[in-house]
Formats: sequence, C-alpha cells, structure tokens
Amino acid sequence: MTDDAHRFTGMYDGCRQRVWAYVVSRAGRQVADEVVSETFAIAWRRLDDVPEPALPWLLGVARNVLRDNIRAETRREALNAELRAWTEGDVADQVTERLGVLRALAELPEDDREVLLLIAWQGLSPKDAARVVGCSSAAFRVRLHRARKRLKQAMEPAGQSRTRVRNLSEEWS
Amino acid sequence: MNPIDELRAARPAHLGDTPVDERTRAAELSYAMSRPRSARQKRRTVRPVWGFSLVGAAAAATAVAVVVSGTGGTTPRAPDAAPATVASSTPKVRLSARDILLTAAAKAARQPAGTGAYWHTATVQRTLYAVEGADYLVMDRQRNERWTPSATRGDLWSSTKPLGARPATAADEEAWKQAGSPAEIPVKPRPMTLSTSPRKMSTGHSPLTDGDKVFWLGRNVTTKDLRGLPSDPAKLKAWLLRSYERNSTESSSDPTPADTWLFSVSAGLITDMPVTPQVRGAAFRMLAALDAVDVIENVTDAEGRQGTAVAIEERTKGSGVMENRLIFDQATGRGLAYENVVVKPAGLQSTFEPGTVWYSQAVLEAGWTDSKPSF
Repeated sequence: MTDDAHRFTGMYDGCRQRVWAYVVSRAGRQVADEVVSETFAIAWRRLDDVPEPALPWLLGVARNVLRDNIRAETRREALNAELRAWTEGDVADQVTERLGVLRALAELPEDDREVLLLIAWQGLSPKDAARVVGCSSAAFRVRLHRARKRLKQAMEPAGQSRTRVRNLSEEWS
Repeated sequence: MNPIDELRAARPAHLGDTPVDERTRAAELSYAMSRPRSARQKRRTVRPVWGFSLVGAAAAATAVAVVVSGTGGTTPRAPDAAPATVASSTPKVRLSARDILLTAAAKAARQPAGTGAYWHTATVQRTLYAVEGADYLVMDRQRNERWTPSATRGDLWSSTKPLGARPATAADEEAWKQAGSPAEIPVKPRPMTLSTSPRKMSTGHSPLTDGDKVFWLGRNVTTKDLRGLPSDPAKLKAWLLRSYERNSTESSSDPTPADTWLFSVSAGLITDMPVTPQVRGAAFRMLAALDAVDVIENVTDAEGRQGTAVAIEERTKGSGVMENRLIFDQATGRGLAYENVVVKPAGLQSTFEPGTVWYSQAVLEAGWTDSKPSF
C-alpha cells in the first residue's frame, strides 16, 4: 500500500468507531454513518493537513459536518431517541448505577453532554477536547468543571450518591 | 468514584471500541478514497490511483435535466443551464442496453494494443460546491497529467494545474456577480475556500511505490499485473473481487457496495489504465452482466463530447441516491468521462437538484508514449 493509503486506512481503523460514537452521542444513530462517511472523505481529501494524533481533528470535522448538514430538528429527534435507548436499556443490562448516570447525562444541556463525553468516552485530554469544540483550553476547563457539577447534581436525586466530594485541585491535575 | 469515571463506566456497549463491520468499512473507505484530493495538496509520496473514479473528478459545469421514470431510473440529457425539468420526450433507451455494451466490448477489444515507455493520461476533473452563506454553486476545475513508466524502477511523472472555480450555471454566475464577483469563494464544508483564478501548474516525479506499483485495484498492482489481467469477464470479475474483499459472499443483483465497486473499477480499466484491449473488452462484458446497470444514449460529457453512458445507482449514506456513470464512445469503446449525478439529494449534496452532475472526470488523453515530460 502507498504511504497515503496506508496512513489513511490506519487512521480509519484507529478512529472510526470513536468518531461514530461521538456523532451518535450528538445526533443519534440515524445520521451517524452518513456523517462519519463524509468526515473520512474530508480527511482523505485533506490528508496532508491531518495532524497526529488524528482523533481530535476528525472529531472537529465531524462536528462541522453535523452542524452544516444535518438540520437541527432532525438531530434533536434522533438524539432523543438515542438517549431513550441508553436509559431504557436491556432488562438484563439494568445495572442501576449505570442507568442512573446515563439518565443524569440525558437530562443535561447538550453543551454539557458534549464536553463530558469528549473526556469520558472519547478519552481526549481537555486540551484536545478544547480544540474539537473550538475554544481555549482555559475556557474548556471552566465548561468541564460546570458540566461535571451539573452531572453530579443530576445524579444525586436519583439514588444514593456514593461519590465523595473532591476538591477541584484533585481533578485534571 | 468521580463522576467522569462513573460516566466512563456507564458507556453503552454499542458505543465502545468494537470493530466496525467489514462491509461498512469497505464501503466507507471506498467512498472516502474515491473522492478527489485537495487541490492545495502537496504530493510528496506517490499514491497509485484507485482506478478512474479516484483520480479525480470531471467536470460537470452544468446541470442536466432528468426524467425520473416510474421504475426510478433517470434519463439525463444534454447539458442544459435550466434546472431539472420533466422532459418526457427523451425516453431512456433500455431495450438493447446489453447489446450496446457487448458491441462496445467488441469495439474496445479491437483497438490496437500499444506499448511505450510511459502510459500517459490527461484528465480534467470538476467538482461542484455549494457556496457558504450564499445561494449559488461553483465548479472547481483541475487538469491532471500523469506519465506512468512501464519499466519498474522508473519514475512516475505528474502535473497538476488548478484551473480555478467558476459559477456553475448562468443563474449561478448572476448570483456570483450580485455577491460582488468574489475571487475567493468560501464553500461547504468549511473551512474550504476556492479561488476563481487558475494557479501555477505543479509538477513532479517520484519513484513508484515499492518500486513497481502503479495503480490500486483493491490492492496495489504493477504494470505487469495490469497487463496480465484475465480477458475472460467471469475470471476478471473473480480476480477483482478477490482483491476487493477476501470474505465477500456472492453478491445479488442489487447494487451492493461490491457491484458499485466493480462498476468503478471497470470504468478505470476501460478509461485510464494501461490494460490490453482484450481486458477492456472484458470489462465491458462484465458490466453487461451486472443487472444493476443501465445504458443511456446521447449523453454529453463536461467537455461537450457526445457519447453513451453506462450507469449504476448507488445508495449513499443518509438515504440519498447517486448515479455513477461512465460515458464512452460507442464507435470505439473508448472511455470519455466518469461522472457522479445526484438522483436523490442527501448529505453534502443535499443542496443540489436531482440530475446535477456534481463530480466528473473527463479523459482528454490516455495512451502510450516514449517521451517523458520536459519539466
């Protein structure tokens, strides 16, 4: 394989499911394949511009593709269906705490959810996540802090919270 | 547990790092890699091109009118600046689709078999873009030339000349003028910007990948591989499918990703790869055996040349439909152009009218030469 094709398929294999998961968490499963497809088509076209590691760049492109091509109400409806699927779950799969977290997550404003999932599910550093959403690292940390706080609040009434309170300095240090 | 850790632990299984299924992977990779590369790209390494559809796009400066028949087929007719209209007076020629392809196969197989030091191709690719923040379309154009050495260890020479973007139709030109005739046009998807002026030709040469690989047919192939392809259509198909997807099951008559792929590979074999005339004939016969293909007569390509098109529809992600078509000269079986036509808009093509050619590649020259370029 050529260098370019080799690099591209490697990048695809390494990142595709993460990009897909991100899009699903923003817009549901219905449009996810389409957005992922376009994202990688853009990555191929601009392969020389893609940095290493590629994931934050790809997520940023997916975010733009979503914003520019998927109508807001289509996205909201599909996302609501997706969030319901997360929180209703399988009977066999009903681990209470897990569902509690997901329900809390579903209640959050969209921006909070995005920020939290870039860190928790995509495994990005706050710096890389800041690049995806297009803000400074400092601004991102503030948003993350607030989002965590709201997530915690949303989790508490649903059940007994066993998480101990942490100081800010313990987090993301 | 900190809420981020709890969140991490609560990730639904289907959003985890499970591998993507093979069919989706093949379809998405081929979708991405069949698109033109950025004109701004500085090519440092040689990438064998994936057949014809990959090299780039030809140009379809104009929308074509289509007839959507009861069976869902489309009948593009000659380029027309008017938006898609129902023109039922130009019915699709369906009767002898297979015969037309078999005739083309015979003509193609009878062309002289050339040889030379270099396989030379010159193409113009055109890609349609929706302008960001405005309501008109522009066509970006680029001329590519390539000299592929027949000797292993030779260098591949290439040149790229961006010809500039221009409004797609007369109506688009009007809208562009109203917008102040910008020379730099932002297009979707952001942050891409196109320039209306031609730019300097970039040229270069570099060793072949692995010393001898010249094209990609699902895997990298050498000139020798291409010359040795079977001239029996069934064997050719089997060879290509092996290379495409090792685990693939026999495909049905539906346009599967494998059929679509076979179609674009055949287009490459017919149009711009250095295969023998007999293999070109076999590629036409392979196309004739695909139930999913249609033949459309009296089609004009982006360079204004008249030909016959063989076409296959492809369902795109997001329930759009696109028509891929190869336009060829019926008298010689020579490939003229490869085009993608919007049938049912979706995704990045959602702003294009049905019938719009949004990506095309016209072949100006494809043949053997003994001389390499002088740049």
